[in-house]
Amino acid sequence: MSTRNLFDVRNRTEQLSEDWFSYLLILPVLLFLVVLMWMPFMQGIYMSFNNWPFGGEPTWTGIENYTFLFGWNPFYTSLKVTLMFTLTTVFQLVVAVMAALAVRELRRGKGFVTGTFLISYTVPPLITGTIWAYMLEPDLGPVFGFLTKWHVLDKTIYWGSHGDMALGVVMFVTTWTFWPFMFLIISANLESIPEEMYETAQMYGANRYQTFLRVTLPQLKSAILVAVSIRLIWNMTKISQVLQLTNGGPGYDTSILAVLLYRFAYGQGQMGVAYAVGIVLLLLTIGFVFVFIREFERASEEGA
Amino acid sequence: MSTEGYDTVGVTVKATTYGVIGFLVLSNLIPLLFIVSVSFMPPNEFFGAPHLIPHAPTLKAWTNGFTELKTNLLNSFLIGAGTAILALIITIPGAYAFARKEFYGKKAGFYAIISAMMFPYILLVIPIMDLWNDLGLYNTIPGMILAYQVFVTPFAIWILRDFFEKLPDDIEEAAQVYGCTQFTAFLRVILPLAAPGIVAVGFLAFLTGWNDFLFANLLTTGTGPVPAVPVLYGTIGGGSGERVYWGKLMAETLIIGIPPTIIYLVARNYLENAFTV
Repeated sequence: MSTRNLFDVRNRTEQLSEDWFSYLLILPVLLFLVVLMWMPFMQGIYMSFNNWPFGGEPTWTGIENYTFLFGWNPFYTSLKVTLMFTLTTVFQLVVAVMAALAVRELRRGKGFVTGTFLISYTVPPLITGTIWAYMLEPDLGPVFGFLTKWHVLDKTIYWGSHGDMALGVVMFVTTWTFWPFMFLIISANLESIPEEMYETAQMYGANRYQTFLRVTLPQLKSAILVAVSIRLIWNMTKISQVLQLTNGGPGYDTSILAVLLYRFAYGQGQMGVAYAVGIVLLLLTIGFVFVFIREFERASEEGA
Repeated sequence: MSTEGYDTVGVTVKATTYGVIGFLVLSNLIPLLFIVSVSFMPPNEFFGAPHLIPHAPTLKAWTNGFTELKTNLLNSFLIGAGTAILALIITIPGAYAFARKEFYGKKAGFYAIISAMMFPYILLVIPIMDLWNDLGLYNTIPGMILAYQVFVTPFAIWILRDFFEKLPDDIEEAAQVYGCTQFTAFLRVILPLAAPGIVAVGFLAFLTGWNDFLFANLLTTGTGPVPAVPVLYGTIGGGSGERVYWGKLMAETLIIGIPPTIIYLVARNYLENAFTV
C-alpha cells in the first residue's frame, strides 16, 4: 500500500515537471501571437468606437463609425462586391480538384506540370496583378490586341471603367493567382488515399463517377475544409492584386471590404472608420466559414 | 491498365486529363512568355500589333530595373531570411511539444494557435504600426521580421507538428540508450529526421517575407528598408502617362518573381508532403 502511494506521488510530480517543460516550449509562440495578434485586435475593437484621424488622438464616439457606414451607399456596394468575391473560392476549388485528379492520372511529366501550376502562387500576388494589368491593358495588352486582330472583337474593351467587368477581371485574376494553393493541399492528400480503397471500389463494380463521390471526396473532406476555409479568409484580405489592377475602382465597384478598409485608413486617414470596416469584415468571414463548414458537414453526411 | 474493359471511358478520361492539364499549363505559361518578351522590347515596340518575339531585343529594361531595385532586393532578402530563421526558432520547440509531449490543455492550445491562421491580417496592420512607432521598430528590418511572425507561426506549427508526429515513438529512448541526453537526442536524432518539414517551413516563411505587400508597404517608408514588392505598386497605379514604362515594369516583375520561383523549385519535394491534413 505505502509503496504504491509513493509511486503515485512520484508520478504526479514527474508529470507536473513534464507539463511545465512543455509549457516552456510553447511559450514563445503563444507570446508572439498574444503580442502581435490578440493585443492589436483588442485595440482594433476599441478603436472602432473612436474617431481617430491618422496621426492624431482618438476620441470616443460610440457607435458613430458604424452608423456612418450603414447609412453610406458605397458601403453596400462594397458588401455586395465582397459577397460576389467569395465565389472565387468556389472557382478555385473546382479548378484545383480538377487539376489534382488530372495530375493523378498522369504517367509522366508530373514534376513539370505541378511546377508550372505553382509558379503563379509562388510569385508575389502584386506581381500577378502587374502581369494581368499588362495582359489585359486595353490599348497595348496582348489579350485585346489578338482578339481585335483575329476579329473576335471589333474594338477594345475598356473594362476598367465598367464596374461589372472590372469585378469580373479582378475575380478571374484572383482565381488564377490562388487556385494552385488549393491544388497543393488537395493533391497532397489525394496521393495519400490508399490504393486498396480504389481496388475495392472497382471490385464492387463502381464506375469512375461513383468512385469519385464515394471514395475520393470523403477522403478529401478535411483537406477541402482546411483549404476552403483558409482561402475564404485570405481571398478577402489579400488585396494587393486588386489594388494593382483597379485600385478598388471604378467608384467602389471592386472595393471589397478589405480594400475599403485600406482606402479609409491610408487614403483618407480615418482609422476609426477603417477599424469599423475591419470588424464588419471579420464578422462576415467568421459567418462564411461557419456556414461553409456546417453545409459541408451536412452534404457529406447525406452523400455517404 | 485499370480502365481495361471499358475503353470508351478510358479514352474520355485520357482526353479530359490532357485537356485540363494542357489548358492550365498554357494559362500559366502564356502570360509568363509575354512578360519575358516585353521585358526585352524597346519602348516603341509596345505600340502597334502585339507580337511575342521582340524585333529589336534590348537589355536596357533589365539593367535599369536591376540598378533601381538593388537595395530593395537586398532588403527583401534580409527580411525573408530573417523571417524564416526567427519563425523556426520560435516554432520548433512548440511544434515538438505539441507532437511528442502530453500536457494539460494541449489540444485547446494547438487549435488556438492554428485558428490564428484564419485571421484577417489586414486588421492588424494599423495597431502594429502604432505599436512599432512606440517601440522604435517602425521602418526597421527587425520590425518587419517580427511583424511577419503573425502570418508565419500558425502555419509553421501546423506543418512542423505533423513532421514530428510521424517519427517513431521510442526513437528518443533509443538514442538515450546510446548515451544521448534528452537534449542531444533532440538535436542529433529528431531534428535531422524532421529536416524536410523544417525546410518547407523555412521556405514558406521566406516567401512570406519576400512576397508580402501590405505590411511591407505600410511598415516602411521611403527612407527605410523598403522591400522590392511595394516599389512595383505606384509604378503602375499612377494611371495615364506611366504606361510607357511597361518594359522596365516587366523586367522588375521578373527580377522580383524569379528568386522565389527558383527556391520553390528546389524545395518542392519537401513542400508537397508538408500539406497532408
